[in-house]
Amino acid sequence: MPWFLYLALRQLFPSGRRFPFFTAISVLGVALGVALLVVVMSVMGGFGYEIRRMIVETEGEVQVKSRAPIADSAELIKQIETVEGVAAATRYASGVVMILREGRPAFPLMRGLDLDSVERVANLGRYVRVGSLDNLDDDSVILSSQLARSIGVSVGDSLEVYSPLMMERLRSDEVFFPREVKVVGILEIGHQQLDSSMLYCTLRLAQDLYALESTVHGINVRAKPGVHEDDLAARLNGAGLPRGIVAYSWMDSFEEFLWVLNLEKSMIFFLLLFIVIVAAFSVTSSLLISVVRKTREIGLLGALGARASGVAACFCAQGLLIGMLGTGVGLGLGFAALAVRNDAVMLIARLTQREEALRRFYQFTNLPTHTATSDIVLIVTLTIGISLLAGLLPAWRAAKLKPVEAFRNE
Amino acid sequence: MNSPRAAAVLRATGLRKSYLSGDRPIDVLTGVDLEVMAGESVAVRGESGAGKSTLLNLIAGLDTADAGTLTWGNEIVTQKTATVRRNRYLGMVFQSFYLIPELIALENVLMPRRIGGKIDTAARARAGELLVKVGLGERAQHLPSQLSGGERQRVAVARALMNEPPLLLADEPTGNLDERTGDAVIELLLGLCAATGTALILVTHNAAHAAKTGRVLMLRAGKLHPHGV
Repeated sequence: MPWFLYLALRQLFPSGRRFPFFTAISVLGVALGVALLVVVMSVMGGFGYEIRRMIVETEGEVQVKSRAPIADSAELIKQIETVEGVAAATRYASGVVMILREGRPAFPLMRGLDLDSVERVANLGRYVRVGSLDNLDDDSVILSSQLARSIGVSVGDSLEVYSPLMMERLRSDEVFFPREVKVVGILEIGHQQLDSSMLYCTLRLAQDLYALESTVHGINVRAKPGVHEDDLAARLNGAGLPRGIVAYSWMDSFEEFLWVLNLEKSMIFFLLLFIVIVAAFSVTSSLLISVVRKTREIGLLGALGARASGVAACFCAQGLLIGMLGTGVGLGLGFAALAVRNDAVMLIARLTQREEALRRFYQFTNLPTHTATSDIVLIVTLTIGISLLAGLLPAWRAAKLKPVEAFRNE
Repeated sequence: MNSPRAAAVLRATGLRKSYLSGDRPIDVLTGVDLEVMAGESVAVRGESGAGKSTLLNLIAGLDTADAGTLTWGNEIVTQKTATVRRNRYLGMVFQSFYLIPELIALENVLMPRRIGGKIDTAARARAGELLVKVGLGERAQHLPSQLSGGERQRVAVARALMNEPPLLLADEPTGNLDERTGDAVIELLLGLCAATGTALILVTHNAAHAAKTGRVLMLRAGKLHPHGV
């Protein structure tokens, strides 16, 4: 072991002292930053992962869309299902409608489902909290939970659905009556954005409301297990789809949404990284004090034949070792905190009597986590890098100290 | 008294050093000539502020002379080569011991070897032997804080001899010790140097300690003079 590493270790862990205070405090500062980063990044990752799962479960991995309504969708589905990697496909129509219930309007996004094939692509049935998807027919709808709450309807109630086409028809003096439908289910996917304003109906009803006749707005495609969505989208686009019809992976379709999610995650990472930076400053400060306190020992090292670079390496190594230890301890603390996260969240919810609010808002009692290897690599690399930088200034000061000056100061 | 041998371990010629005190230069050394032969012991005495420590720093290559040449063995010492060569060529003992507080006595003794290269079983054995020789065989595992002043200085002596240097420099090694302990340290230092053939330059105020060396020099007006001249 090089002498500077040996001495750095000894200065951090002096012989005969089991719990060196300076080392413990420095390591703990870095560890807390790392632990917090691991917990927050994992929870953020968990939310992102859950959202991905929800989107894929309700929309399929790939969407085939066109600017204009797609005619002859049955033939297109046959073509799509011959492409390698496709498990199933289902048609849909969508658009904004107005619903009215006792004078209270709402403007949800309508989704017309092909009941013959939708369950093979989108696992919507598992999200229907009240009622059933089986009860859905051309005179009924299923509402997302927050929408139902906002206009005060429940299963069995009726409401009126207005299509934007009515405005078009009014211009030509046609009277277009709203469709009266019955609510047969309340659906809750578990994500605020997806649950806030959705209306599910049959494809036929959606086609009627939008005067689509037999055309559809798009086709949702379920990939076979192990097939990547981007690969499948590329394969479909290369399979000779009719002109103007393009396959998008769910990531392409929700690009902006995912960008916002990533931005949130990056911002939180950036802000939390300051905890590590502050901890690194305290390491710098402690090491600088150490340089001043150990002036005579630094002088002695020079007198014993140590090069200035070796003296600098000794202090750099101390910063590095603190960073490595802090990272190790922080990872341990972080994963331990993740392991007990649900108990902790439930305890807080119970103490604040907000269990129901938690369940309603997040739709899960278990806090989701997903720890990405890339996040851990980034946390470890940055923390150790910052800790190494923390040792640079003290190292430079120590290297500049000439033995003769050190002895003179003494 | 040591008998001088043919080979000089140190040769200083015309060493000059001055410092600025404000705008005024103070000439500390005005042309020091010194030759120390292998195994010889030399004491340097002088009044406080005469420049004894400055001379020792120049000889050790810790400071640069304004003029003059310094030779260790057959090689001229330059600022570039001094650091690395010092590890093997010089042993140093200081008034304030300068032990590394986090290291036990044995590890303090091993430090010059560790800086110079690798620690092997032979090096550990030598460090242990040196501690036995300085009477601290039983205290090898003790931290400096657990040792008395005299014991610390004996550890420092063992450390100075670890790399078997041809030349040992001792700067007021008894300055922080009581008379009896100081006498013991000087006896030890001289005895070990004589036994190992190590040349010694001892800077001291103590006339009795100086008298025990082979040659006594007085530093006066920036120059070395034989004692009594």
